Amino acid sequence: MFEFRNISIGFGGMNVLRDFSIQLHPGDRVGLTGGNGSGKSTLINIATGFLIPQNGQILLDGKLLTGMPAWQYAREGIRRSFQSVRLLPNVPLQDQFQAEVHDIKTLRSLLQETTLAKYLNQFPSEIPLPIQRKAEVVRALIANPRYLFLDEPCAGLTNAELTAFAGFLSNHVPVDCGLIVVEHRCDLIEMVANRLISLDSNAQGSQTSHA
Amino acid sequence: MSVYLASILTNMALISFLALSAYLVLVVGEISFGQQAFFGIGAYVTATATVIFDAPVGLALLLSALCAGLAALLLAALTLRLSGLYFAIASLCFAELFRLSLLQIRLPLELDGRMTGPDGPEGFSNIRWIFDNNIEVVDFLSLTLACLGTLLMLLFVLERTQVMFCARLVGKDNILAQSVGVRPNLYRMCFICASGIVAGFGGALFALFNTHIEPQMFGVMLGVHALAYSIIGGLGAPIGPLIGVAIDIGLLESIRALSAYRMIVFGGLVAVLLIVFPEGLINPRFVNRVRNRTRPNV
Amino acid sequence: MEFLQTSLDGILFGSAYALLALGFSLIFGIMKRINLAYGSSLLLGSAIAVWVNEHIGLGPLGLFLVTITAAALVNIYVERLCFCPHVGKTGVTASMIASFAIWMQLDEISSQLLPQRTHEFPGIEIGSVEIFNLYLRGDQILNLWVAIIAISALFLILRCTRFGLLLRASADNPETAKLLGANVSRIGIVTFAIAGFLGGTSAFLILSSDGHVTPLFGLWSTIKGLVAMMLGGVGSLVGAVLGGLLLGFLEAHTTNLFGAEYRDISTFGILFLVLILRPGGLMGVAHYRTDRLAHERI
Repeated sequence: MFEFRNISIGFGGMNVLRDFSIQLHPGDRVGLTGGNGSGKSTLINIATGFLIPQNGQILLDGKLLTGMPAWQYAREGIRRSFQSVRLLPNVPLQDQFQAEVHDIKTLRSLLQETTLAKYLNQFPSEIPLPIQRKAEVVRALIANPRYLFLDEPCAGLTNAELTAFAGFLSNHVPVDCGLIVVEHRCDLIEMVANRLISLDSNAQGSQTSHA
Repeated sequence: MSVYLASILTNMALISFLALSAYLVLVVGEISFGQQAFFGIGAYVTATATVIFDAPVGLALLLSALCAGLAALLLAALTLRLSGLYFAIASLCFAELFRLSLLQIRLPLELDGRMTGPDGPEGFSNIRWIFDNNIEVVDFLSLTLACLGTLLMLLFVLERTQVMFCARLVGKDNILAQSVGVRPNLYRMCFICASGIVAGFGGALFALFNTHIEPQMFGVMLGVHALAYSIIGGLGAPIGPLIGVAIDIGLLESIRALSAYRMIVFGGLVAVLLIVFPEGLINPRFVNRVRNRTRPNV
Repeated sequence: MEFLQTSLDGILFGSAYALLALGFSLIFGIMKRINLAYGSSLLLGSAIAVWVNEHIGLGPLGLFLVTITAAALVNIYVERLCFCPHVGKTGVTASMIASFAIWMQLDEISSQLLPQRTHEFPGIEIGSVEIFNLYLRGDQILNLWVAIIAISALFLILRCTRFGLLLRASADNPETAKLLGANVSRIGIVTFAIAGFLGGTSAFLILSSDGHVTPLFGLWSTIKGLVAMMLGGVGSLVGAVLGGLLLGFLEAHTTNLFGAEYRDISTFGILFLVLILRPGGLMGVAHYRTDRLAHERI
């Protein structure tokens, strides 16, 4: 279980998150929404160790993670994508995944399955955006993450591409991995999530669930 | 081969060690203005070991590399929080502190009727290993090239490993590196330490070849030159820094008419080359494209 | 009493450093880049002035005008070659490397213009003043005043004029500034020209005090300017001035306590400590974030 416990953070005197407490379980499919500046990216940064909250803790199966460096969060199985695509610009697609020790066969099969196959020899500047986004998710999935946070993965995609992306997530994110998607666009949330967390202007979170 | 040519080639090989040392730091994303200090540490340790303690030359070289590596590790540890300009200036301070301290160390001694020992600004003279062992310039060149060749092979093998991938990842995008579980500070420390070892080894050979070393040989300009060679040669492969060395020393030295104005030409050349090749001639993008085209299809 | 005299000497001498640091800080503060060729550009400006003077004889005013004009023109050359082609975040490193290549080039050109080791620099001569048993050098008081006037003028320009607003906007985000009508290219030229005039003034004052110019002035002013800027806090104009005064103060006292040969060691030692313990310098955290992630919006 991944837990945000009483998370509070503010910047320059403005509260962004206040007493935010939520629990996430393996296999959850969570959509995180809220207006601009409501703290969605901040929340992901805190959840993945890139920001330290002023108050509150992050716990993974009871183990306190707050204060550890971000790379340690990643090693605990908490992975993420970023708002703007982060792929190494000088490296072809098939070489983007070497940071993890992994099985070449599973990598290959994963890449074949997810229609990335024909882009393997190309550099990120030559690859269309939806494929880049998928590659980022694949990179995270290779590590067998326990919780995967995606930060606005459909920014810049057309409706058709978004639908394809939603299908890709449904098919390839393992059942025991918790998926949390931050998105402005409701259609993705509707297709992927069975639980909705909404950050409102009071810096609190409210939850709704739907099947 | 003429002695003159052998000398030039030896000097090129020796400074290649320094250029490769700057390269190793650039790979993890930092610019160091201080590599000349590790070169100097290597030089002084070997001089001391061979002259004062009569150590076998292999041991002296090893000791030089070790001391320089430890010094580099110290710098890396102290500067963990620093990056960019701050790290560059900190490395400059470290190197200058080393050089200025050397000026204060005056322990001259007389051996076999000759003055030797570290004597402040006068330097350390009469490092007589090559004379005592009747080593010709050409032989020393062979030795240096053998060492350099070994180093290049090690680096070439390293290039294909995950270690190098992660190091370049840290250098290119620290945040991405952390998000995939790579530990930036560990790679920084290891590579900076390795850069010290490489520079120290080169400095040791330099001391033996030159037979006389003094603190002002290890000043800012030496380090800045080595850095420039690395950057215009390119960071894509270990051959890059060597190309930078070849361009400056090889090309411009051989065009006699230009040699008086070498820095004017070389400086301008670097600036212009950087406009066209901001990451150097043998840059990572170029190397990866070549690798891509020559690999068997997945 | 001696403490007071030494302190005063130090602070007044530090005013020269303050002026140098202002020039570095202007470029770094406005354009977020380091111009390592700055010191050499001032050397070349002075060298050109001396060379002209030796051929056709200028009075102190003429010498001053030629120095600042030449310095400004050389700085514009540096800007066009090293900074204009490298925009954006990835251009930061390339522009710094290009600028130190040009540093080497300008130093060499200056050496060609000043073939003897020192050349006379017939600038202005100002006498000294004695107040309450304290001995104050007139030229150093002038330095201090020029620094204060310069920083006030810069502040006025940056905060109160439209041009200053454009400068700050293009520093923050060149792309957006361009969209809003700022001529980013011209702004770069003007900034460097201002830095050139400012630096030329400081070079003129420093060299007038010294009475002569040597080719080592380039390296000297680069190091002093950088150290002063970093002591005060990178990117802060006030910090540059305070850093320069502080550097002068510290140097005067360490020279007094330990002797002149330890002056440079203490300079670098203090800077190294500052970088490790409080990289933000005097002006503090506001101008530096050790946590690189705070820089980036992720």
